Amino acid sequence: MELAPKTLDVSHLEPFDISSQAPLWWGQVLIACIEGTMFCLLIAAFLYTRLRVDVWPLPGDQFPHLTLPTLALIPLILSAVGSFIASEGAKRNDRSRMIFGLTLNLVLAAIFFAMRIVEWHSLNFNWKADIQGSYVWAFLGLHSFDVVGDLVFTLVLIFCVVSGRYGEKQRLGVHVDSVVWYFLVAIWIPIYLAIYWGPKLLESQ
Amino acid sequence: MKRLWFALAALAYSAAAQQQSALNPAGPQSGRIAGLWWFFFYLLGAIFIIVMLIMLRTLMRGHRNAEENQPLENHERAQTRETRLRSIVTVSSVVTVVLLFILLVASISIGKANADLGASGKPMIIQVIGNQWWWQFSYLNDDPSQVLTTANEIHIPIGKTVLIQGQSNDVIHSFWVPNLHGKRDLIPSRVTTEYIRADRPGIYRGQCAEFCGLQHAHMAFYIVAEPEDKFKAWMQAQLQPAVAPATPALAQGQQNFLNYACVYCHQIRGTTASGTNGPDLTHFGSRRTIAAGTLPNTPGNLGGWIVNPQSIKPGNHMATIAVKPDDLQPMIQYLESLK
Amino acid sequence: MATQDVSPHIPNEHAELSLLDRVWQNGRGIFGWLSVTTHHAIGMRYIVTAFVMLLLGGIEALLVRIQLAHSNNTFLGPDRYNEIFTTHGTTMMFLFAVPVMEGMAIYLVPMMCGTRNVAFPRLNAFGYWLYLGGCLFLYWGVFTNAAPDMGWFAYPPLSGPQFTPGKRTDIWAQMITFTEVSALCVATELIATIFKMRAPRMSLNRIPLFVWSILVQSFMTIFAMPAIVIASSYLLSDRTVATHFVNPAEGGDPILYQHVFWFFGHPEVYIIFIPALGFVSAIVTAHSRRAIVGYPAMVLSLIANGFIAFGLWVHHMFATGLPQIGEAYFTASSMMIAVTSGIQIFCWLATLWSGKVRLTTALHFVYGFLVIFVLGGLTGVVLASVPLDLQVHDTFFVVAHFHYVLIGGALFPLFGALYHWYPKMTGRMMSERLGKINFWFLFIGFNLTFFPMHILGLHGMPRRVYTYGPEMGWDNLNLLATIGAFIIAIGGILFLVNVFWSRRHGRIAGNNPWEADSLEWAAASPPKNYNFEFLPVATSRYPLWVAPESEPASLSKAKTQPDRAVVTGLRNDRREVLVTTLMDAEPHHRYVLPGSSIWPFITAICVSIGFIGSVFNPWYIISGSIISGLALLGWFWPRKLLELEP
Repeated sequence: MELAPKTLDVSHLEPFDISSQAPLWWGQVLIACIEGTMFCLLIAAFLYTRLRVDVWPLPGDQFPHLTLPTLALIPLILSAVGSFIASEGAKRNDRSRMIFGLTLNLVLAAIFFAMRIVEWHSLNFNWKADIQGSYVWAFLGLHSFDVVGDLVFTLVLIFCVVSGRYGEKQRLGVHVDSVVWYFLVAIWIPIYLAIYWGPKLLESQ
Repeated sequence: MKRLWFALAALAYSAAAQQQSALNPAGPQSGRIAGLWWFFFYLLGAIFIIVMLIMLRTLMRGHRNAEENQPLENHERAQTRETRLRSIVTVSSVVTVVLLFILLVASISIGKANADLGASGKPMIIQVIGNQWWWQFSYLNDDPSQVLTTANEIHIPIGKTVLIQGQSNDVIHSFWVPNLHGKRDLIPSRVTTEYIRADRPGIYRGQCAEFCGLQHAHMAFYIVAEPEDKFKAWMQAQLQPAVAPATPALAQGQQNFLNYACVYCHQIRGTTASGTNGPDLTHFGSRRTIAAGTLPNTPGNLGGWIVNPQSIKPGNHMATIAVKPDDLQPMIQYLESLK
Repeated sequence: MATQDVSPHIPNEHAELSLLDRVWQNGRGIFGWLSVTTHHAIGMRYIVTAFVMLLLGGIEALLVRIQLAHSNNTFLGPDRYNEIFTTHGTTMMFLFAVPVMEGMAIYLVPMMCGTRNVAFPRLNAFGYWLYLGGCLFLYWGVFTNAAPDMGWFAYPPLSGPQFTPGKRTDIWAQMITFTEVSALCVATELIATIFKMRAPRMSLNRIPLFVWSILVQSFMTIFAMPAIVIASSYLLSDRTVATHFVNPAEGGDPILYQHVFWFFGHPEVYIIFIPALGFVSAIVTAHSRRAIVGYPAMVLSLIANGFIAFGLWVHHMFATGLPQIGEAYFTASSMMIAVTSGIQIFCWLATLWSGKVRLTTALHFVYGFLVIFVLGGLTGVVLASVPLDLQVHDTFFVVAHFHYVLIGGALFPLFGALYHWYPKMTGRMMSERLGKINFWFLFIGFNLTFFPMHILGLHGMPRRVYTYGPEMGWDNLNLLATIGAFIIAIGGILFLVNVFWSRRHGRIAGNNPWEADSLEWAAASPPKNYNFEFLPVATSRYPLWVAPESEPASLSKAKTQPDRAVVTGLRNDRREVLVTTLMDAEPHHRYVLPGSSIWPFITAICVSIGFIGSVFNPWYIISGSIISGLALLGWFWPRKLLELEP
């Protein structure tokens, strides 16, 4: 049986922490869980729907093209490296590393997003066309919404760091921003497989 | 309290009409389910009473303990008591698992027995199509001349298995005749099936059990279960086109019906009325009710229904047609003559 | 527990207190009121708003009962009736039951964990404003003849553009969006609070059972709410931008909607009643004055409940016609809930059996809960059986069942909890005498209303019918149920009377009137904004009780401990709290919480504009996002650059 002292002095502890011990990190991970669950359910619903329909895509539609979204994976995955560098910089309070990492993240993510906009134009169906259109556009729309939101957030962080308007909170923000971005990169891969490959694989059986 | 409940239950049993009741089974499936219900009822009831008795006992013990205000218990005694309580909880939980397992096996085997009803023999197939807010029934047959389409009331032979093939034209409905079997949803873009069989002659009421909009409350139908020969006779009569008007008044009534917009939605085989949006009226006079079980089929009710269907079943899809008073009476007589 | 006899070194106690008061003070005036981020205030706003919703939902229930009192009643037409029963269900599930539990959790969890606020106070405020937005939006619809009328489950195709044109369904679906975002905010911040801000030494096996229940509930929210996000988005996008997710004509599947809806909808029920199990544990512990029997079993049952809840959604869909093997699996999983709930009931009974029971109003409600919930649980076993479910599904039997589990399982514990914690919240005791009268009205009224419904259901009365014919023989029991409903209403009014009367005239409570065990009772009643002058240290599972030599037997003769171990060394000139490790709650670092801010309110307004606008014009999704983004920019803009000195 331990003996508890009457008082527990904590004045020696750090007044902040940039790591997975921070409550904000947990908050962000939980939000990733929420979105992850949502995307997983949507993928399941998409495949369920595919299995219920005999002809896919419905007449008049095409499968989405493969080349551009596959190529776009490269800048997307590399952009996570930028996030990593920025978050390491944030932990060590290394300004130039933060700026480099965030900028790398932003540029590569922007390239990815530009490729996606080009891809939109190549689709010959919209969300009203049929059930495939509804799902493909839902995935693209939801993920793009998240990506754009995070790009804006990254832009703001770059502004803060470059202009010197930053403290621990903003550094923690950079760290947590990297968690968000890892999630957005990671979740895109199953979505990509589901909407570009899933129906084709199910077709060939 | 409890005595009151029993009194209430007794009251309800005597008072309730038994033609739409899960506890008045008329077929093998509903019979098994009712049996299962009583098995659950007694077993779960016993559990309930035991738990309640223990609960009441805690109340008394609790008071005693509070009054005694005994000194701090010795540690060892507290420990043994704690262990004893935990083992009681464990044993109770194990008993719960065992009882549930019994219930699980019972319900799975009943479910399987009910599903196996259609395994042998070729059933009679009745297609049920749900509509807001009426039922279309078709007796399917390989011979097109033997296919009978009717609405809101069907007859079935007792002792014969019937396959219900459910579909829906609009929203989700649910086919349910509690005296015969549980419910089966009718879902657009799908076909659902259920076997039923009546072993006892009688008139059983069914009602839509899935909320389907404004008039969900008024979407009932009747199943008349009767001996094979009576059923055959009914079937033969129903397969005939509508009887020709026997009197000038009825002929006038028929003419009136055909002149009004009724024909856009209703069919009367043997006449030019061939609409399919509403119930088939070929043998309307033989049915027990109007508007999917809403009103008894009497000339007075029918007149009210034709003149102002929205006042009787607000929101239903039957158009209000301004029938001239002079035209109405013959029309009613004609429709009621369609036995 | 032996404590070293050194009194804490407290420099200039008085000055420190006023410093804390000042640092944690809320602003004045309307602006200050809108900027509040303290958890008591937000929690109380949730509770009060939820009770207003309960009142509205209750009135709707009475209207429904009046309409059904006898056959062929014309008190309400079918259209109005459908609006009212839908609004009743929606209000009770989304705007009362879940938010009131969240409000209780927001109020109690930080105190029970021995900290000063939730982990994200501004998110907390934001969540409340969105919840309020959802309430206002739905009732704006109700009072402009646009109340939803397709049932609280909104099955397509009935809820699709073809069969329910107009904005009624859209308002419903977007109200869901409001409340789901709010619930997700709450779940996130509560998990972060419970994981990272517990009092030092409050290791996982010392967390109070109520906090455990909230932890389980919050995780369930995190994994269940995304499903309703999808379901309501299916409806909205099918209705507003002509997608085909659940449109059977274009390859969509209405059954898919049911799967997604119930994947949320079943856990939702547990999201409501698992906190109530936490209430019961807290009340039983405090009022039988002994440690709960089988704490580990209780915790494991709660967690198991949480998991199983996700594996039985299909029992709402047995009538759609499933393969047999699926039916068997879902029957078994549905029955498993009876095991985990049963274990908890046995533990409570064992605790009451061996405790020194003090028959307070709070405990009355626990006993009421036991009677009703056990019965509701047993009819739940009936519903798990596929053959029986096919008969009683969508009948009044089900109505009886879920009112037994939801009112019995959640509302009775909630009333008990309010009697239990009212002294903490207001500093005054509620009248015990009026409380017991209130209990008996609710208990008798409840059984009178809902017990006959079992019989009605077995005798073929379907749910959601606005009337029935006299030939059905359902008149007597329905009349009885209606009378019961009014008795419940009287009970509810008595409760409100008690709340308002006691606010003024109740006996002064003191910090710990029940001699209860958990840390919230160490705070002042009503609590200060900062809860504790010195954060407590959780020296045992029952930190306010004198623990005997070893923990397991702590037990029977509980006495409150006069002076406890506390944390020193936090800075009081800013809103500083302590972050501890996940498992053992060892102090890790200090953490400065944000203070009051108007930005959560502004952001909530902007988000609401987007939500509400998009019902009428899809472009509001874009413009709403942009203004919300700008508001977030204002929220997070680095104003004060605090480089934190130690």
